[in-house]
Amino acid sequence: MSTGFSNELWASRFILLDGIGTCIFVSFLAIVFGTIVGIVVGLPLTYGNFIFRFLARAYTDFIRGIPVLVLILTFYFVLSVLGLNLTAMQAGIASLSIFSSAHVAEMLRGGLQNVQKGQIEAAKAVGLSFFQTFLYVSLPQALRQILPTWINTAVETTKGSTLVSIIGVVEITLVMQQIIGRNFLSMEFYALAGLIYFIICFSIERFGKFIEKKVAIK
Amino acid sequence: MRKRHLFKAVLAVASLIATTVTGVSHANAASGTLQTVLDRGVLIVGTGSGNPPWHFIDKSGKLVGMDIDVAGMIAKGLFGDASKVQFVQQASDARIPNLVTDKIDITCQFMTVHAVRAQQVAFTIPYYREGVGLIIKKGSKYKNYADLLKAGNKAKIAILQNVQSNDYVHAALPKAKVLQYPESNLAIAAVDSGRADAAAYDQSSISWLVAQSPNKYVDSGYGWMPQSYSCALKQGDQVWLNFVNQVLHEAMYGVEFDAYKASFKKWFGVTLPPPHIGFPG
Repeated sequence: MSTGFSNELWASRFILLDGIGTCIFVSFLAIVFGTIVGIVVGLPLTYGNFIFRFLARAYTDFIRGIPVLVLILTFYFVLSVLGLNLTAMQAGIASLSIFSSAHVAEMLRGGLQNVQKGQIEAAKAVGLSFFQTFLYVSLPQALRQILPTWINTAVETTKGSTLVSIIGVVEITLVMQQIIGRNFLSMEFYALAGLIYFIICFSIERFGKFIEKKVAIK
Repeated sequence: MRKRHLFKAVLAVASLIATTVTGVSHANAASGTLQTVLDRGVLIVGTGSGNPPWHFIDKSGKLVGMDIDVAGMIAKGLFGDASKVQFVQQASDARIPNLVTDKIDITCQFMTVHAVRAQQVAFTIPYYREGVGLIIKKGSKYKNYADLLKAGNKAKIAILQNVQSNDYVHAALPKAKVLQYPESNLAIAAVDSGRADAAAYDQSSISWLVAQSPNKYVDSGYGWMPQSYSCALKQGDQVWLNFVNQVLHEAMYGVEFDAYKASFKKWFGVTLPPPHIGFPG
């Protein structure tokens, strides 16, 4: 029944590559959308008046207080009852984006607020507008500071993408379950899954370190 | 288990919203699922992808199995073309939520009929009777169920670890020694290595393993703990339920018997005798 691991691996190469592709696709989009939404939420969180700050704060705290799995199930099942029938793929990307956006918003606030007050005052003194101060003084410093945590969120989001297998997105985890269902080689293929995730996440981390070095102030 | 509770919690919220936002989830019922499916030209079926011989990815990467064939039979009844099916992959836990939230027209995923489940979804007539069987290595000193029974406490039976595992085995072999394993493939491996004389396993999986490796395994010939496998639909659409029931009934006892028989032979290695000709029943 079960032939050798290498034979099974060769036979499964196409669905495995598909699964890896899906994992990267879902994670990449989730990180991109999450970052965009995170910036949109993070700015009012830092500079907004009372109402905007309250809304942004409510959003980040609410999302960060919900497990990713529950977010995924909610986007897939609850939204369809409300008439928005997302496919498993759309629901997976949307929920992971929302998950990472809350983290991005929070770290952007931290980065912006960490810029020394004296610098902002100095910017005002030389006649920079609020927007110019933000663009030339606060943002470049904040971005450098949040880069390591942002990379961390990207890795967390990628690892979180395993959970979309639960709603039927055929990514690495679900592909492994399919392969193991056929040949019972559970140890081997779960170990392989671990290795693949490690390679993906390690690459993201290395990439982050590379960028960090590139933009560091020497 | 935790996962299942989450599903239930999310589903509870979903149905709560459904009752307040009436009209949305009943839109389909008004026009009828049968007509909706015919207009769409493709049947949307929820099923799994990791459980041979029911629904699994074969070496060529295609979704195949008995559940897939049953879905094809329904599609053939609808469109005269068994390939007009779109499969939505779902975990076993998602079978009922996906029906209730209108993600799929029907679920065919080795679903055991329980009265409790029948309060939430509408079951079709069963298309298979699952049970627990005993798989033996070919050439072992015990040839069949009678031998194992006679061996008394000398017989060692491997089974997947479970709270009721001992009771399961002892219901068929009251004196047998029970060896519990954390995964069902390890229970089969215990039979392979001679550590156990037989493994207690789902009858369908035994049939599949024997059909795959007829020179390696034998079916003991005894099965117990029956349970029915049916497709399931959303409640409240009798026309759609009747239609699917008719298709399944005619596959097992009528004009489509040959297709059902071919599938049964392919996945369970068993050639079904034709239904008794004459007075129906």
